[in-house]
Amino acid sequence: MTGVALRMLRRRDLADEVVHDTFLRVWENAGSYDAGRGEPQSWVFAILRYRALSVLRSEGRIDLVGDVSSFETIDEGADAEAALAALSERGALRCCLDRLEPQRRQAIILAYIKGLTHGELAGRLGVPLGTAKAWIRRSLQALRECMA
Amino acid sequence: MDTPQPASSAGVHGVTEGECDQLACDYAMGLLDAAAMEVCTARLHDDTLFAASVEAWRRRLGELDVTAPEIALEPSLWTRIESSLGAPKVATRKTSQQRMGERLAAGWSSVVWWRSFGLAAAAASLLLAIGLGYIAQRAAQAPVLVAVLLSDERHPAGLVNVFRDGRTDFVALQAIRAPEGKSLQLWTLWDRARGPVSVGLMQELHNAALRLDGLPGTTADQLFEVTLEPEGGSPTGRPTGPILMKGNAGRTEGGA
Repeated sequence: MTGVALRMLRRRDLADEVVHDTFLRVWENAGSYDAGRGEPQSWVFAILRYRALSVLRSEGRIDLVGDVSSFETIDEGADAEAALAALSERGALRCCLDRLEPQRRQAIILAYIKGLTHGELAGRLGVPLGTAKAWIRRSLQALRECMA
Repeated sequence: MDTPQPASSAGVHGVTEGECDQLACDYAMGLLDAAAMEVCTARLHDDTLFAASVEAWRRRLGELDVTAPEIALEPSLWTRIESSLGAPKVATRKTSQQRMGERLAAGWSSVVWWRSFGLAAAAASLLLAIGLGYIAQRAAQAPVLVAVLLSDERHPAGLVNVFRDGRTDFVALQAIRAPEGKSLQLWTLWDRARGPVSVGLMQELHNAALRLDGLPGTTADQLFEVTLEPEGGSPTGRPTGPILMKGNAGRTEGGA
């Protein structure tokens, strides 16, 4: 869990905070957890990611970037590659991601594991916002069809 | 998407399924800004179509969560989580309700399951102990009286929970079905002079709310029993058939 939060927030103290809050949420809602509405694991991770995204999207974001931005791109590319490599080779997600054009595949993975917005992705991809949105949308739809 | 979505039926919020799924996807991906995220989170509760789309996307993408490097949690963080969960309040008392709560939480008790989040076994079981007590304590807050109905072989076959507001429910603990032409009838006896009063009728033992309206409030030691009666219930208004299970209400600590 800490790994997921740290990958998004890049600061251990913030990641710990998010993990802490996630546990509280999980125990508070465990009684009302409805197994019919989803797997427990995806439920817990959804809570975790939502907390981390809230931190990312809040004012705290300013502290997160700053002086690391110069080598950010390299780091992120490596992170995306590592995530792809860690996916099971026989899994549906891996197979379908492999079918996407490398740059777009990387964008999808980065968006998910780093919690990047459309605007941030446009900056990374070096394309206008509208183009980035369309690329992402089309790639995700291809992913959905592939995994159906 | 530059090409238009196939416009299928308009959803609850007046958007097409395609648009709904697109939003669900952006939400599950984490692409939305803070305000849009809030709106979507609220929508999860009252738009089942949207919630199902989000869940489907979470399932598709969830594999990526497991690709994060495994990082053990600091012991100090465990301590913090423990105190935030109100560990000192988790008492050692163990009511039947608490044991029920534990059973309800059985799905949570797999250390293997917790390990999938990168938790060390010891830490996971520590947290589990706290968590189970916590959940069970919440479950135990509600009923003030509980009657465990035992079968002839003294197996727990049913449970009657009486809540503070008078609401009473029956929990089936065994699968029992009345034979053809018979019914199961639930009775309570709080006044020997008046005799048992029917509070429910069923073909098959199942969880149900009991009709105790018009009866005096349930008290400790009040008897509950299930008898086998002709289909549609006892013709005399009194139990006529064999007793399948019975038990007396006991006060829980919450009701003490």
